[in-house]
Amino acid sequence: MELREQFTSKIHKNIIRFFHENPASVDTPRGIATWINQDLRKVKSALEKLTKAGILIAHKSTSTTGYSYTRNKKIISQIDRLLKKKV
Amino acid sequence: MKIDKEKIYDKELFDRLKNSLDLKNEQGIMSSYFKEPIWWVAPGFDKKLPISEAEIIKRCRQMKDYTPLTRSACMKTLLNAFRKAKKSKQVELFKCISGLHGFIYPVVQGNKIYGYIAMCHAEKEIPLQTIGMFIGFVNALVKEIQKELELSKLYQTLRPRAIALSTVHTVHRLISSTLNLDELLPRIARLSLHVVRANRCSIKLVDKAKKVLLPKTTVDLRKKKVRLKKVKVGRHAPGRAFKKSKSIRGKDYLAMPLIDEDVIGVITLYDKVDGKPFDHFDQEIMRTLAEQAVIAIRNAQLYKEQEKLTIGSIKSLATILEARSPGIITPRGSFVRIVLEMGREFKLKMYELKSLQYATLLHDAGEIIVPNEILTKPSKLTGKEFRLVKEHPLRGVKIIKPLKALKGASPVILYHHEKYDGTGYPKGLKGNQIPIGARIMAVVAAFEAMIAKRPYRAKKSIEDAAEEIKRNSGTQFDPKVVDVFLKVIKRKHIRSLLKKEGYGT
Repeated sequence: MELREQFTSKIHKNIIRFFHENPASVDTPRGIATWINQDLRKVKSALEKLTKAGILIAHKSTSTTGYSYTRNKKIISQIDRLLKKKV
Repeated sequence: MKIDKEKIYDKELFDRLKNSLDLKNEQGIMSSYFKEPIWWVAPGFDKKLPISEAEIIKRCRQMKDYTPLTRSACMKTLLNAFRKAKKSKQVELFKCISGLHGFIYPVVQGNKIYGYIAMCHAEKEIPLQTIGMFIGFVNALVKEIQKELELSKLYQTLRPRAIALSTVHTVHRLISSTLNLDELLPRIARLSLHVVRANRCSIKLVDKAKKVLLPKTTVDLRKKKVRLKKVKVGRHAPGRAFKKSKSIRGKDYLAMPLIDEDVIGVITLYDKVDGKPFDHFDQEIMRTLAEQAVIAIRNAQLYKEQEKLTIGSIKSLATILEARSPGIITPRGSFVRIVLEMGREFKLKMYELKSLQYATLLHDAGEIIVPNEILTKPSKLTGKEFRLVKEHPLRGVKIIKPLKALKGASPVILYHHEKYDGTGYPKGLKGNQIPIGARIMAVVAAFEAMIAKRPYRAKKSIEDAAEEIKRNSGTQFDPKVVDVFLKVIKRKHIRSLLKKEGYGT
């Protein structure tokens, strides 16, 4: 249920789609905001929520945080179904 | 492969043309002039004709004047016109047996026919000028679609490369942000696993004899237990990669040497998440990552060596001071430990904790200028003697000034005799004007002075000393620092360390 909730927000959905299509990507909030063409502040907030939901993994350092896609096959498979459904 | 891509491109182009709203609008305009003609838009084929007899029959049946007798004549006219258009690559006008007009236009770019746009069953003759305008319109539309496809192709080529570049840049920032080797190596391993989508990563660094690779970190995201194994140079994938100074790729492993001026180690990845073998792309990205990793590792190693040198210098200095005045100038290890734990409670940064550590060892270094008779005098000091002792913080700072690595320790050494209420020395700083490190040092130094053996007073027990500190909270000492101090000295390991060093007995 929690996973579906992430799809109700356009920014969340776009971020999830970006990582689902580019699973090897590790990028900063600014980079991701560029790829999905959304406001940086909103993207930052969305990234934190998606990390808490277990969809993304945060790699923190002193200067920045990089985000990468989950490796949980169950979550990835659910996301794949949800993305195809929405399309 | 090339031919397939070309066919896909041609099909895509013609499909876009066929579905184009602009073309439909243009057809609509012409239809209104020629009173509901039949339109055909069909892709080109090398050998077959673009439309089938079945299609012709189906469409013609819909016409009011359709008869079976006119059917074969109609079909013959249409198919002939298509053949002519295909051969000539030019527009072909025709008139069918029912006296209705039409044209077939092959959509040509260079020598290639993408498809055909045809119109039949027009009640009037179609003027050449109208045909010319229609052809011009279609050609312009085709050129526009070609540009769109080129841009789309460029986007599809550039975007993944740009995303990969951004990943490389982000990884670089993440691994360059730490100089702590124990933190750095697992971070490199985890990031490598994410970038290449593998399950396990091992980093081995070569030992000095250069005959064996020592495992420094192994990360397995499947949470499998891993044994850290040494690998001889030349043996197994990591050993071979090290020996040959080049990457070794197998079905389920990829070993990449870490090369500085020399090979310093190997990073090896195992088992891709999707079960596929490691490919050329994985190799390329790991090559870039390995180049970044080796710089970060070398920096961390150099930093560690520099730290060792600094600590070594401090310990040498501390040894000299200890020889000068045993048990008075240099504190024992337990106090360094107390200071560091208090620093962590205050969430001091790594470099601040380092400075605090150095300052603890040398905070009374300035007392070296004070004659030993004064330092060990059992009775009260005279005014002149006390003034000399009060100079020691400033003297201490001057002693350590040449050692640039100890710059952060200077404020702690200088202000550790300041008092929270502003009545201390050398500058009479008050409250938060006193750096936090100095406020911590003030408490711990006082504690140490009370429980250590001194010639001028009996040593106190740990509890009595703690009570004394508490009594002076808010006046001599910062209340927040006192609270943290009281919390830290209650810890079991601190108490055992103090006991081990002979305190509190």
